[in-house]
This record gives sequence, structure tokens and C-alpha cells, in this order.
Amino acid sequence: MNRNYFFLTALMLLLAIGTMFLSKSEQQKQIEPDKLLWEIIQPTRYVSTDEVAKLIIQNDPSIELIDVRTPKEFAEFSLPNAINIPLDSIVTTSSLEYFGIPGMNVIFFSNDAIQADQGWVMTKRLGFDATYVMKGGLNRWIETIIQPTEPKETAPQTEFDIYQFRKGAQIYFTGAKVETTTNAKKNKVVIKRRKKTVTASGGC
Amino acid sequence: MNVHDLNPKKTLITLVAFTLLLVIGFFTMNKPLLSYQLNLEQSLADLKLEEACFQPADLNAFLTQDSKDIILIDIRDRFSFGQGHIPGAKNISAYDLSQEENIELLNEYKMNKVTVVLYGNDQLQANGSWMLFRQVGFDNVKVLLGGYNYYLAHAKDLMASKDLTDYKLGSAKYDYAKLAQAKNEISSSSTTTKKKPIKIRRKKKKAVASGGC
Amino acid sequence: MGPLIPNGFITGDWDFVIAILLGIAFGFILEASGFSSSRNLAGVFYGYNFVVLRVFFTAMIVAMVGLLYFDYFGWLDLSKIFILPTFVWPMIVGGVIMGLGFIVGGFCPGTSFTAIAIGKLDGLVFTIGLYIGIFIFTESFPLFSDFYTSGDMGNPTLMDVTGISAPWIAFAFTFIALAVFWITMLIEKRVRKTTTAYKF
Repeated sequence: MNRNYFFLTALMLLLAIGTMFLSKSEQQKQIEPDKLLWEIIQPTRYVSTDEVAKLIIQNDPSIELIDVRTPKEFAEFSLPNAINIPLDSIVTTSSLEYFGIPGMNVIFFSNDAIQADQGWVMTKRLGFDATYVMKGGLNRWIETIIQPTEPKETAPQTEFDIYQFRKGAQIYFTGAKVETTTNAKKNKVVIKRRKKTVTASGGC
Repeated sequence: MNVHDLNPKKTLITLVAFTLLLVIGFFTMNKPLLSYQLNLEQSLADLKLEEACFQPADLNAFLTQDSKDIILIDIRDRFSFGQGHIPGAKNISAYDLSQEENIELLNEYKMNKVTVVLYGNDQLQANGSWMLFRQVGFDNVKVLLGGYNYYLAHAKDLMASKDLTDYKLGSAKYDYAKLAQAKNEISSSSTTTKKKPIKIRRKKKKAVASGGC
Repeated sequence: MGPLIPNGFITGDWDFVIAILLGIAFGFILEASGFSSSRNLAGVFYGYNFVVLRVFFTAMIVAMVGLLYFDYFGWLDLSKIFILPTFVWPMIVGGVIMGLGFIVGGFCPGTSFTAIAIGKLDGLVFTIGLYIGIFIFTESFPLFSDFYTSGDMGNPTLMDVTGISAPWIAFAFTFIALAVFWITMLIEKRVRKTTTAYKF
């Protein structure tokens, strides 16, 4: 019998055992820390409450509002059609299915921007794009949309324009409030399995 | 010799080539400067640590005693830093902080148990960088609650903020439901638009490229 | 780095170039391993020649272990590679038909073409039969189109189904394959003693 067979058998076994020490392949896919930091220092992820209000009023189908507060807080009040993913469970497999949907823009919000921003960093670490943070959170939402303050008489015209918009938004949100909250609760998320594309398969 | 017995020379060449390929692979692997030390769950738990945050009141120790075990890093841009900063703070942007020489510096601080406090204009500005540096293993990095703005407002009497909680973020300032409800009664006439709910479809794992056998 | 096309290193237009290069390599290996001889191929089923089994098992375990290393080195992203969708029942039936055809005809589809390439008549006849079979299948497809797509499991890998991590599966397969190599060599020796010599 050939001695080479012994060498080959030994080498192959050794290599196979060696794969067990390559731990990297078992981790979830993450972006490199330096890439993540690069994303973090960009201020482009912040959207203002005015922009969010505008998107909701326009019934934009591409926005996905994610409330990262606790379920209790979510039950008391949230934005229309928001989905509740508490920050603690944001990296669970079932939560992650809400991110990375083609054509959808995720907007995180919480009481202020901190927890939303933390949720943003965690999902960004997993490489999800098209995610945003509502700057100022619900506190700013109340201050600007629900209870807008009138600008001073000496303020520039643009501020009055914003105020006009906010006044309109206020009526929209506080007026349509009752319906939208019940909607948000009833709005069960429908999971649709996307069919895998079956391409021509080869033979051998 | 049977036709299917192995040719010793060819076997040797193949063996050497295969092993060589793997050895090259090991040596050409680029070791990243930073790598995650905390996994996702640990990172989330880390956010809740009280000791990961730096209270404004604790700044007093830094400002008055010139203590050696606290380093303050201003991650804002050079211009804002020039306009005003906390005395004794270093101006290193978050990006510069992730460069090799500063990582070495951070490692040194970590070894000597020096606390590194990051701050921006508000807590939000330093939030992401703070999270990142903790996730890559610098557990001596803290974030200044309230940020520079809070310091500026209370610079005269930082100790007083010990009893205050207005720099602590994350809680609701208003009773949202009540506010939204109250307005509802006033302007109940405007209940017009019946919104159709937007259904959000979850994503499923997808096949990437096509190929055959 | 890899896979090259999904990662945008080269465009999908290179498909055909890569297919030709791989085809040349595949044909070369098949012929070099003696797979253009139906005696060699069918030998597995009679116990006098296990070269088919050894070549394919070697290819499988080398690729399996090698890919795990490549993934680790960052040369190939295993999460992005294409995985053939699994249809349980059609695959079992197809496997049975393929196995039967293999023993009866002495070739599998790929090797019949290598046999033609070196001018073997039996390879040519097998290939003609192959096309007739394909024609019959295509024409009668509506009859069993439901069955054709039954048992759809999506595209799971062994890791997804069993929950065992990739290195363990690779190790198990390597161990089994290596054990089989040695066992088949013994079987070969015994069987060859009793049979008369054969030509390739």
C-alpha cells in the first residue's frame, strides 16, 4: 500500500480539525468597527420631527417607524403605525426581520434621541442601511408638532412658514389621533414569505 | 503499480501547494486595528451600566484637582473647540481617536486605569462614538451626560447638579397620551382623514447569486 | 473578496467565460481520473473499482474544508454563495432514476461527454439517449409539474437543518470520507482477486 495515502489522510484530518478553531464564520455578519465609526460620525442619519410629520401626513409607504421604548410606554402613546421594538430586544432574529427591507426607510424614535440612536448604532453594526433617527424624539415631537410655539414677531419668514406647517400638523395628528392609535394596534404585521428565485440549475 | 495508485511526486507537489496556499492565507490576513470585544447582547447590556456614564457633578474633581486619572476628550470639530471647551480637555475627533497612535494611547490609559470621558455639544453627539469605543473593548471610556451645553449652563455651580436630573435623558418630559388627547377634544371637528394602515412586510433571507453544480 | 460577481468585482457578463474555464477544468479532471470509461464508473456498483467514489469524496472534502479556510481568510464570503433550492420528493425520485441510469448506462451525464470527447461510441449512444429523455420529460412536464415543485424547503444548508456548526459537519464528512477510502481499498483488493482482469 502506498505511503502517500497515509500522508494525505493525516493532512486532511488535520485540516478538518483545524477548521474548528476558525471561530469567525459562526458570528453574525457585522461591519468592521472602523466602518461603523465612520457611519457614526456622519450627521446624515438625523431627521427632524417636521420631516417625520410630513412623511406621516403624506402617508409615505416607504417609511417604517420603529419605537424603541418599552411596550408599556408604547401602549400609552406612539406615532401612527409605529412598530414597537424595545431596545433590549433589537438584535433578536425576529426584530431584525424588520430591517433591510428593500425600499423601506427605517426611522427610530424614543423619548429623546439617545435610545433611538443606540438602536441605530446596533443595527448599523449589523450592516443595515437606510436607517434614521428622529432627532429630539417624542419630547421634541410634543414641543414642535403637538404644541408648537409661535415664533416672535421679529422672527424671519421661514420660521412662520414652519409654524404654519406645524399648526396644520397639530390638527392632523391630534384630530386623527383616536383612529390612528387603534389602527396602530390592530395593524398586525403581515409576514409574507418571499419566494426564492429559482434559477436554472445545472447538472453534473 | 496499479493505474490508480498515487504518483509520489505529484502527490507531494499537490500537498505542498495546498498547504502553502493555506499558510499564505494565514499570513496575508489583515489584522484589523479594532475588533469587537462585546457581542451584540453584551453591548446592549453595557448601555445600561451606570458607571459607563460620567455625571456632570464629577467634573468638579477634574477641574479643581487636576486629577491624573481622568482624561477629557472633546470630539467636536476644531472650530467649536476654539469657541469654547471644558478647561483641560483635549480636542480629538472620534475619527482621529480611532487612528493607530490614539488607539495605542487609549490602550495605555486602559492599562493605567485612566478614565477617558468623551463629550460633544450634547450627549447625543458623543453617544455613537462612546458606544463604539466601549464595544471594541475600551471599558474605561465614558460619556459626559448633558455634554458641553449642560456644562456651559451650569459651569458656575456644577456641584448643584448632583441633585438635579435634568441632564439625564431617556425619560418622557410630557404625558404624551394626555396632551394628544386633550387637543383631540378641542379640535374634534377635524377628524376627517381615515388613514389606511401601511403594512410592513418583513424581509426574508434571500438567495444571492445564481449558479449550478 | 469573493464571490466575485455578487461583490461587484466583475460583472455578470463574465459568467460564460468562467463557465468555459470551469468546464475545461472539469472535463480535464474527469478524463484524467479515468471517468470516460464506463467500466471504471460502474465499477463502484460491482465492487472492483471505487475510483469514482474516491475522486468525488476527495473533491468534496477538499472543497468543504478549503472553503471554510477561505471564508476565514476573507477570500470568499460563504454567506453570499448560491445554494441550490431543495425539493425533497423530486430530488429523491430523481436520485433513484439517476442511480438506475448510472448502473444501466455506465455513465453519468458529465462523463458521457468526456467519453465522446475521446471518441467512444457508447458515450455517444448514451448522450443520444440523454437527449431523448430530456425531450420526453419536457413534453410531458405538465403531467408532473406539481410533483416537480413539491417538498420545497427553500435553500437550506446542512447547518440550518441540523443546527450543527459548519466545522463539525466538515470534520464528520472528512472522517467518513477518509474511512470510506480505506474500506473501499480493502474491498477492491478482495473483489479483484476473484474477478478476471479488465481493461479500461
